[in-house]
Amino acid sequence: MSQIRKIHTQLINKEISCTALVQEKLDLLQQNTFNTVNSLLEETAIKLAKKVDAKIANGQKIGLLEGIPFGIKDVYMVQGTYTTASSDLLKNYKSAYTATAIQKLLDAGAIPLVKENCDSFGHGSSSENTIFGAVKNAVNPALVGGGSSGGSAVNVAKDYTIFSIGGDTGGSIRQPAGYNKVYGLKPTYGRISRYGLMSYASSTDCVGPIAKSIEDIRIVLNIMSGKDVKDQTTYKSDKIEKDLNTSNIKTVGYFKNFIESKAISKEIKADFLATIDKIKAKGIAVKELEFFDSDILVSTYYTLAMAETASNLSRLDGTNYGARIEGDTLKDTYSITRSEKFSEETKRRIVGGNQVLSQGFSDEIYLKAQDVRNQISARFTNDFKEVDIILSPVTPQNPPKIGDSLKDPLAMYLSDAYTVGFSLAELPTLTLPKGTNTGLQLTADKKNDAHVLQFANLLNDIL
Amino acid sequence: MTVDILSSIKGAKPSESVNKLFDVIKNANQQNNSNTTVHNKVVSLNDLREDVVVESSAIEKEIIKENFPKEKNGFLVVAKVIED
Repeated sequence: MSQIRKIHTQLINKEISCTALVQEKLDLLQQNTFNTVNSLLEETAIKLAKKVDAKIANGQKIGLLEGIPFGIKDVYMVQGTYTTASSDLLKNYKSAYTATAIQKLLDAGAIPLVKENCDSFGHGSSSENTIFGAVKNAVNPALVGGGSSGGSAVNVAKDYTIFSIGGDTGGSIRQPAGYNKVYGLKPTYGRISRYGLMSYASSTDCVGPIAKSIEDIRIVLNIMSGKDVKDQTTYKSDKIEKDLNTSNIKTVGYFKNFIESKAISKEIKADFLATIDKIKAKGIAVKELEFFDSDILVSTYYTLAMAETASNLSRLDGTNYGARIEGDTLKDTYSITRSEKFSEETKRRIVGGNQVLSQGFSDEIYLKAQDVRNQISARFTNDFKEVDIILSPVTPQNPPKIGDSLKDPLAMYLSDAYTVGFSLAELPTLTLPKGTNTGLQLTADKKNDAHVLQFANLLNDIL
Repeated sequence: MTVDILSSIKGAKPSESVNKLFDVIKNANQQNNSNTTVHNKVVSLNDLREDVVVESSAIEKEIIKENFPKEKNGFLVVAKVIED
């Protein structure tokens, strides 16, 4: 059921006041022990809530999102708010402007409550790489919240926010959504403007919603989508209508090698295959597909993502903003600041990126990874001539215990095996919190985000 | 140039875990097939944004100054530059 529609109805029927609703959520966020909060936007939220209440009291109409409290991953610019990327380097940094996607939500009247904890600069799959303390899983607090948008997924799962805006570069919305049993969408690359999203790997960075229903995902996606002159990779998209017709989904595919991999847990494999049987029983054709090995997918993704993050984060040197530790010379100042203020994981990725971009290595690693990425995209183009949707598990394993991922970076990278391929090919992919313990991923061809939501509705009926 | 200089990170060294990822790419099969090249990121010349200067708002300017790491007697102070 749509939480947004439910609250909208309660507000216009004067069953609840917006101020009371916002205060209740702020209190829950303030007291929570899951480490989901980097900073609360208390003053602004209450001010905006009072305006909504005044409008309702005056008999004025309010929009569907007006007065709906939401959360924002702490990598989005919101003017005047601390935007730390969960990093020591930007601990005291304030946004000078507001991200396009967030501005659209503010214009629609949604009320921002919180900047949410995440892996520093999006560098992680567990939300442990943060100066604000590891995010705890909403279902079992001994486990990780997932990452990098861990705080956002946990806030939605615990009903601290009605929806949250995460960022997904290689699975950072879909994996925490799966770990915390909520919906999370990575739209087609370019559907939502990245302007004001702190860049990690610009060629796969995506803005997306996390919520408790497909309808809420649809509402928020429609508001944020659209061409933006400030992000030239954006494209004009049609609004996705409420009536999600499922009749155009006739064939579903899945990657046989994902399911036959040694890395997948027995439980996730069995549950996934049981889901496939239920889909077949519904009269939908199911096709087994061949795909790239997990280690090729993960290596291609991390090679390109590290190269891009090394370039993007080179601007963080303590000169104009962020922390600065003075050295004897300018270059010393740069290197001392960066050595002491970046986390170990962030440094590992910057160094890896500079390795692959450096002379003598770029041909055999970086350019080759670009070539493999093109092959992956081409494979998807062919697959989508035969199937309408590709279904896959979100992760091969259940969420790890807090502390385990930091000990073994390679294992953490490999845990992204099922999400990164769709990022490299820029495809719309939704996590549905059903089918396996960490959910299912539904993927359609580029710009077919509506198909993903349509099929999710169908799966909701049969699972 | 070594990676610590390239990365401006003192004492930085390549990581074993990351090197294992790169080894997979080095050993991957390559298809030099130009048909698979993705051109979708190309922006059309007819679709470029207007080349205009947009003045920052007063609050933007205020926050930019507030974010500056060091200030002395009303001046924003940059790190000391010594030519190598």
